[in-house]
Amino acid sequence: MFCEKVIELLKEAERNPETIDQYNDEKIRQVLEEMHSLYKMNLNDANASSDNRSLCATVQVRHTALERNKRCLLAYLYSRMNKIKTLRWEFGSVLPPDVRELLSDDEYQWFSKYSTNLASYMRSLGSDIGYSGIDLTENLKPPKSLYIEVLCMADHGKLELEDGDIITLKKNSRHFLPTSECQTLIRQGILKQIL
Amino acid sequence: MDLTDDIELSEDEEISVETVLKSVQCAWQNERLAPEILPHRNDMIECMLGQIQHMERNINKLPKTDLRACIHKMELSRIKFMICNYLKTRLHKIEKYCIPIIIAERQRIESGANYLTPAEFKYAQEYSLNMESHLKSAVLAKLPGTMETLEMSKLAVYPNLQSHVFLKANTAVKGVVLEEGLGDQDVEIELENGSQHILQYKPIAELVKNGKVLLV
Amino acid sequence: MDPYEIEFIGENRVVSIIPNFTYEKIYLICGEFGPFRAGLPMNVPLWLAVMLKQKQKCRMVPPDWMDIEVLENIKEEEKRSRFFTKMPNEHYMVEAKLILGNAPEDVPRASEIKTIIKDIWDIRMSKLRTSIDTLMKSGGNYGRLDHLTMMEINSVKPLLPEAMDELYRIEKMTQKTMPTSLNTSTFSQSGSSQNL
Repeated sequence: MFCEKVIELLKEAERNPETIDQYNDEKIRQVLEEMHSLYKMNLNDANASSDNRSLCATVQVRHTALERNKRCLLAYLYSRMNKIKTLRWEFGSVLPPDVRELLSDDEYQWFSKYSTNLASYMRSLGSDIGYSGIDLTENLKPPKSLYIEVLCMADHGKLELEDGDIITLKKNSRHFLPTSECQTLIRQGILKQIL
Repeated sequence: MDLTDDIELSEDEEISVETVLKSVQCAWQNERLAPEILPHRNDMIECMLGQIQHMERNINKLPKTDLRACIHKMELSRIKFMICNYLKTRLHKIEKYCIPIIIAERQRIESGANYLTPAEFKYAQEYSLNMESHLKSAVLAKLPGTMETLEMSKLAVYPNLQSHVFLKANTAVKGVVLEEGLGDQDVEIELENGSQHILQYKPIAELVKNGKVLLV
Repeated sequence: MDPYEIEFIGENRVVSIIPNFTYEKIYLICGEFGPFRAGLPMNVPLWLAVMLKQKQKCRMVPPDWMDIEVLENIKEEEKRSRFFTKMPNEHYMVEAKLILGNAPEDVPRASEIKTIIKDIWDIRMSKLRTSIDTLMKSGGNYGRLDHLTMMEINSVKPLLPEAMDELYRIEKMTQKTMPTSLNTSTFSQSGSSQNL
């Protein structure tokens, strides 16, 4: 039946909302082929018999199928465009090669233009005052000082933190420490995270 | 707090940065929760960026371990988060509702009441052009005969102004007309100062834009 | 909005701390705070209080409402009343989470307080669910919800607003669809389904 292939395309596009699949060149080619053949058949019928009403319905059905195929193809592209946009926000302007592979050449070109447009907009922010510190693709979450509570399992003397504070690690003392600075000590068993 | 106040420094009256910050927060909240794009608050954003720049210069003069530096850095990163989230939200709306926004904005520019900043408008137009050109080269040009025309209006996605939102009234508001669903009678309600409601966005859209209500 | 964004807004609330260091006034963009005098209570934004607490530079002072008796009264009122009680402040859950989470030792009877606050939240959530049910059944497209906090309102998103949107859409379509008999010319019937 007409338009079955294009529905398969759409299902593919919507299957994984979180990721993008390989651009399905082959299926698209098949849909386009179907469209070309439908169009040709319609042209023939329309030219051949302007009086023959019985063909009207056939032409109508083919026309509807053509419109549907067009709409679905555009929907496929559109759905992928939205996913490609999130790639820019996630990976920045340079895509890792395994991701780049999933895009068609046209899509990669679109990605580049999107990226350039975004960069150009971001540059304009604060340009009047000469400030260039705003990158919209960062600052994604409200900042939290990432501290965890730990229990000291053994005397370990003094520990100097990144911000200059010095704390004394005595057995059974509890502390709030920046996550990044505890990891080693936790691995060594000197500190234990209190959950 | 009246969001339509411009930031003017007159002889007797100054709007403090604190007030601007609060206004930015309200603008952010409203923009996050409104279905359509709201009028820009570029004046306030520029003001905050200036403050951030000024603060960052001062912090850089302090030793890294200075407690004050730590505290200021934290505040700046909070403000940056809010501004970035605000601008990003606007960009996403511009991308999603690209075509109707450009059409409406062209009309608004003529009357000087633009919702987008010049940079945002440029972004919108560029985005729309890129989309058009991509669809043409990827698919449309390969279609038979007359099918290759692109009807941009068919691509248009419109924001749902009838969607329901929660709001808090910053002041007493009379004469809000709600469309009744089943019946044919419209209902007029009053919003008491401080009251909270859930209702359709469309009847209160203007109230959001002039600061009389805050979306929550 | 995400809960962490609402927490972010709630962190701007001013709370009381007792610093263990001395420092002059600080001039933040959101306001002036200080001077810091070791051992003397003072006010700072919640986000700053949490930061200082984590660096072990202060004790947190529980807000007035974080008290067993006060909370018991609120709980009783909440149980008793059909409507939502006015909570001590707009961001009581955020304050509770951050203060009890970071400084339980600074709050007398912290675990009991945690329990009562949770009870109050549960009662309010249950009331909210009932109100939503009533609202939807009455075909409502409008509701008043005074005294609900942002966090509570957020908990029913997107379910409630989207359900109301859907209801509206269905009602509108019911109005627009004219009753017609099925005939072969339905295909050419004009003026029906429009996009909302």
